[in-house]
Amino acid sequence: MNRIVKMAIKDLRLLARDRMGAFFILGFPILMGLFFGLVMGGSNSGEGRAKMQVAIVDNDNSDMSRKFIESLKANESIAVSMEELESARESVRKGKRVAMMVLDEGFGESAGVLWGQPPTIKLGVDPSRSAEAAMLQGFIMESIGQLVGERFQDPDLMRNFIDKSRQELADNQSISSTNRMLMQAFFGSLEQMTENIGALQTQSDDSSQAPNAGKGIQFANIESLDVSRAVDPDSTAGQIAKLNSKWDISFPQAMIWGVLGCVAGFAISIAKERTQGTMTRLRVAPVSKFEIIAGKALACFITVVLVIVTLTVLGVLLGMQPKSYPLLVLAAISVSVCFVGIMMFLSVIGTTEQAVGGSGWAINMVMAMLGGGMIPVMFMPAFMKSLSNLSPVKWGILSLEGAIWREFSFAEMVMPCLILIGVGIIGMSIGTLIFRRTDA
Amino acid sequence: MENPLIVSAQGLRKSYGSHIAVDGLNFEIQRGATFGLLGPNGAGKTTTISMLVGLLHPDEGSVIVGDGSSKSNGTAGNPVDDSVRRLIGVAPQSLSLYDELTAKENLEFFGQLYGLSGGRLRERVQWSLAFAELEDRQKDRLSTFSGGMKRRMNIAVAMIHEPEILLLDEPTVGVDPQSRNHIFESIQRLQKEGLTILYTTHYMEEAQRLCDSVAIMDHGKLLALDSVPRLIAQHGGCSVVTCELGRLPEQVELPGQLDGTLLRFESDRPLEKVAELSGQGVQFRTLSISQPDLESVFLSLTGRSLRD
Repeated sequence: MNRIVKMAIKDLRLLARDRMGAFFILGFPILMGLFFGLVMGGSNSGEGRAKMQVAIVDNDNSDMSRKFIESLKANESIAVSMEELESARESVRKGKRVAMMVLDEGFGESAGVLWGQPPTIKLGVDPSRSAEAAMLQGFIMESIGQLVGERFQDPDLMRNFIDKSRQELADNQSISSTNRMLMQAFFGSLEQMTENIGALQTQSDDSSQAPNAGKGIQFANIESLDVSRAVDPDSTAGQIAKLNSKWDISFPQAMIWGVLGCVAGFAISIAKERTQGTMTRLRVAPVSKFEIIAGKALACFITVVLVIVTLTVLGVLLGMQPKSYPLLVLAAISVSVCFVGIMMFLSVIGTTEQAVGGSGWAINMVMAMLGGGMIPVMFMPAFMKSLSNLSPVKWGILSLEGAIWREFSFAEMVMPCLILIGVGIIGMSIGTLIFRRTDA
Repeated sequence: MENPLIVSAQGLRKSYGSHIAVDGLNFEIQRGATFGLLGPNGAGKTTTISMLVGLLHPDEGSVIVGDGSSKSNGTAGNPVDDSVRRLIGVAPQSLSLYDELTAKENLEFFGQLYGLSGGRLRERVQWSLAFAELEDRQKDRLSTFSGGMKRRMNIAVAMIHEPEILLLDEPTVGVDPQSRNHIFESIQRLQKEGLTILYTTHYMEEAQRLCDSVAIMDHGKLLALDSVPRLIAQHGGCSVVTCELGRLPEQVELPGQLDGTLLRFESDRPLEKVAELSGQGVQFRTLSISQPDLESVFLSLTGRSLRD
């Protein structure tokens, strides 16, 4: 075991000093992960967008509803478009808008009033943009809060509203005399305060108000509006709906590219040992052929695990949120076993570095193309999806995705992991058998 | 009293398909001797060495390495066994080193494979660096070394575990004269320390300079095996005298053909013959005497030159 570890350390040291090899194992996959993450990330978050696209259906058409909409339009984070109900719903469903908002009749009567029932705003948010929903609700409250200020700053508006409320109070016979007196006193005070505000406004040109007046107070009821359709969880849309970050697809792919880099690099290194003669020196030493190949396998295994760990850490720093770390460990080990086996097989199919490198990368590319290393399997046509089952890359990505965003249970992880480990064992067996029969 | 045998190869035979690489090879090497394996490319030298170190299994015959003495740690047997392999140090013909590791790292790695560790490993690494005269370059990667320095490292790595037998396969191929001399001096130092050396080469002058006994191989067969002087005496033929004559008295009987003023003849006693001619009044303008060497021996045994 000691000699196997020594040989693995030697190979890791050589790899660390091979800048081009290290680039293809780690640098290239990171660049791929970042590039494809940025390319694919637009639909899953608001990052990079100038404004949040919101459709508004104004069924009230009052001064207050228009002021509310104007307030939203003034928000630099929101792009408002006025639409009909069905059109707005479709635009959200199709992903053209982040959310739709419905202002029903009567919105203007209660908007900005500090007593009685607050106005109701119906809000429908694209389920895949849930991260932006809370931000949008905050903007809505901010705009409603501005309506409160509007009412207090416009004495005529307030006076009309107080008169209307006094009339309603007089007409309502169910209110007790005590409450009626209290309400009359309140309206009197309110009227006086409105008069004072009017007087102040005439004395001062400074009519500016705090832009965030009313912020933090619940000025409106926000009702959820269903904009989602029943989505088959196995469909592409259903799978995409599970994505948490734009890195969820690109980083498992990047991990596999890093792993393929390891496979090619270590397969070539075995061929290089033959061509540069160091294999001869290893074999005349008191070291068995098994120990020689096991040393390579150990170094490759460690490198593959390091690649997956490094890309996981980078992904998490960028916002990837693996659903299950224990399952990610299981996936990483399964992927490592599988591709170490493939490396050992590739290392014996040629005798020179050129032969092993050429055939190794050719096989890697075919595996990657079929298995979703370039185009995710979920976006492939049906026949390609069936073909992808033949590629270990597909099972590698599936197991990593299962732990990162597909929310696989342990039972669901078993099949891809068993396939990976099986492929690995077959590869190791064939590779070791041929290596032991070969006189280097 | 003769030294004990430390290598014994009996009836070695190895073929690849219909091609017989080694055919019934027999030889023995005494402890402390330097044994040369001489032959052209394709003669079967590398196959023979591969069988001696356990890399190849002979189709027939056997190899015994070690003399079972305390110097061999009581070991003697087939080089397939790990304990026997520890007795052997090999410097392959190709530079079998890791270019991207430093000189020290190469020595440490191979030393660890032979079970060295701790202070013993450090001691052997320093010894090997001193042997190769590369102490000041120990932290440099081999990729920055010259060809000659790499050749010295190749031998130093073979010596890292202090073997009983050192196998040097064409150790001077592609090196400059200065490095070649350095390698010769290193080998002669090891000879003085009593190390057994098996030296393969196709340079006759190297074998003549370094080897106590030489086996000449061709087409997988052993053509001759003896000490260098005996091989020359038995197979080298006579010395060749070439001279240009100034004055030639008419009555003198020449020992060879005269071409103009140029005389060439063979003799087992060339100096005596030249003195005799001089006494008869022959005047020499130029004189050259070529003694037989291993090249002559090979030519005599195979009918062709070693470099053909």
